[in-house]
This record gives sequence, C-alpha cells and structure tokens, in this order.
Amino acid sequence: MKNSSAQSSDDPVLQWVTFRLDDETYGINVMQVQEVLRYSEIAPVPGAPSYVLGIINLRGNVVTVIDTRQRFGLPSAEITDNTRIVIIEADKQVVGILVDSVAEVVYLRESEIETAPNVGNDEAAKFIQGVCNKNGELLILVELEKMMSEQEWAELDGF
Amino acid sequence: MMKTNKSQTALQNYLDGLLQEAEIEQFNEPKPVMLEEKPLAPVLLPTFTTPKIVVEQQVETKIDIEMQPELQPVVDEKPAWSQQPFECLLFDVAGLTLAVPLICLGSIYQLSEDDITPIFAQPEWFVGIMSTPAGNLKVLDTARWVMPERYNPELRKDFSFVISIDGHEWGLAVNQVRNSILLRPDEVKWRLKRGQRAWLAGTVIEHMCALLDVEALAKLITDKDKRVTVDKSL
Repeated sequence: MKNSSAQSSDDPVLQWVTFRLDDETYGINVMQVQEVLRYSEIAPVPGAPSYVLGIINLRGNVVTVIDTRQRFGLPSAEITDNTRIVIIEADKQVVGILVDSVAEVVYLRESEIETAPNVGNDEAAKFIQGVCNKNGELLILVELEKMMSEQEWAELDGF
Repeated sequence: MMKTNKSQTALQNYLDGLLQEAEIEQFNEPKPVMLEEKPLAPVLLPTFTTPKIVVEQQVETKIDIEMQPELQPVVDEKPAWSQQPFECLLFDVAGLTLAVPLICLGSIYQLSEDDITPIFAQPEWFVGIMSTPAGNLKVLDTARWVMPERYNPELRKDFSFVISIDGHEWGLAVNQVRNSILLRPDEVKWRLKRGQRAWLAGTVIEHMCALLDVEALAKLITDKDKRVTVDKSL
C-alpha cells in the first residue's frame, strides 16, 4: 500500500504542522499556516456564531479566532501555557484556530496518507482529509477549507 | 462463575426475546388447512406444541432506530462456510457469547490503553482507528451493533481485544476471547431470511452463543462507508 520510492511528482512530500486537541494529534498543511502565536486575550464579539471565540489584534489587523474544539465536537478545555493560536489562511481568509498545543512539522508522502473512515454523517466528519501513522501515533489530517461551510466563511468575513 | 451466569443470563434473555417474537408471529399466522380439514371442530388458535419452531425465518426484532447503526438489507441465504463443519472462535461482548468462523477472521490484537485513536464526528459505534503491523484498523463497537437495545457506554471500558475481519479494514472490539469450537451445520439454528440483524447467521443453543456472519457484517459497514463517501462528495 505504501510507496517507498523516493520523492517524485507521483508521490509528493507534503509538510504538515501538527497540533494537539484533547490528547489527539492533528495535522494541517504547512502552506496554510502563517504563524503560531502564544495565547493572548481574545475579545468576544457580540452576536458571533458559537464557533467564534472572538477577535485578536495581530499587528494592527483584526483576526477572528475559531473555537476548534467546538468545531470538532470536542469538550472545551482550560487555557494552559501550551495553548496556541495558529494563524491560517483558508478560503482566502486569515483566521486563527485555538489549539491545545502545537507539536512539530512532519513530512508525509502522499502515499502514506490513508483515507479516513467515512462512516460519520456528522458535518464535522467532512473536514477529515485522511489519517497517517507517524512516529508511532496516528495523525488526523484536517482540511481547513471544509472546516466551515461557504456561508460560514462568508460570515467570518464580516468580523 | 459470576461472569458465566451473567453471560448465560444475557444470552438467554436475548434468545428468549427472539423465540418469543417468533411464537407471536406463529400465533398470528394460523394454517387455513387445519380449518378446512376439521370444519366441525371448534376453531382453535394454534398451539405451540410443535417440538421444533423455526425461529430464524420469522424473527424480526424491534430495534431502536436511533441506536441502530444501519438500515439493513435482507440476507436470504446461509453463508458459504455453513455447508460443512466449521471451526469458530468464541468471544464475549457485553455478557453475550458470540461465535465467528475462523475462516472469516484475520488477527487478534490485545488492546492496551491508547491503542485506539478516536476520530471526531463519527457515529457512536465507531470506536476509532488502531494501528497494527498490518495497517490501520477501523474498530467497531461490537456491543453497540449486536445489542443496541441494551447497550451501556460503560462497556467500552472493558474492551480487551480487537479481532480483525479477514479481507477488510475493520476490526471488532470485544471484551474477552475464549476458545475455539467445531460446529456442525445441524447444531446451528440458521436464520434464512435476514432483514434486521443481517449479521446474525444463527444461534447455537448448545454453546449458548450467537453466530455472526462476518461477511454480512462487513458488507453492512462498507456499504455505509461508500454511501457516506458519495454523500460527502456532493
């Protein structure tokens, strides 16, 4: 199943930034990550959808921060010293996603990525791009564009 | 000893339920021939004195739709392996003993903590993914499939093994693996028309166990897998 040949156009190597949520490790495409910030106070926005934690000021720019745990259907957790806001670009927008911690950047060959189980009817199941074994643990790869619907992305544009 | 009693009680209740519903169906379907042959006799409701009741052909148990993982197609025949004596592995799930033909099994993996990675936004019967030397296994909460009506989430803590299904990327989470037995086809009360519980090939009273049709189970899961894939691509 796995292709052990060297990197080629048929089997490109992709880099993934990994982060932790609720003791599991997730990966997002490094090309979509702009920077990783320590947790700073997030100003709530009245009337915002439940998946929006609020906004932060990033060098003069307003960035909306998404409650990733809520989006993934996970229970909320305390903010710790390891909590990070990952600034990403998805659907032509820059947003922040709150994660428990950021781990590392891993290199994965496309052939190493396996399809995720497709048994979930939950909307959130759509943004699982695949899974991959790396360093003895299972990485869950997330497709950020699908983390929200087009309408939700459009709503975010308004903040 | 306590565990054995619990297991037997659970199976007995389970089988009693199937038998009871089969009897009710039989009760509701009197044979018209009897009335024609004895027109002067008082009209009697059929009795249950027949020594052998063909349970499997008539059983349709009621399952809570919310809990049921799958709308199941009718399986209308015995599995291919049922034509001659076959070896089965016995294992326990939520107090019920299940038998699976060895020919349908892949490997047995002992579970330790953190072996299974849960995936968010999946149905409750999907436990998670387990990495094995043979690749990633999608692990099914067997208890929720087999006995959804008496499922208790606490049972999940007692999973000790995952049994992989030969030729599929699915594995069954089970509480305990027991011994293997050799079954003759005539020892099994086969279910020939299977609507609900298409995965239940039959029951083996002598061993107080339910016999799984693993292929039918795997087909139910993979069909669902494919259906959701199509839905997601829309």
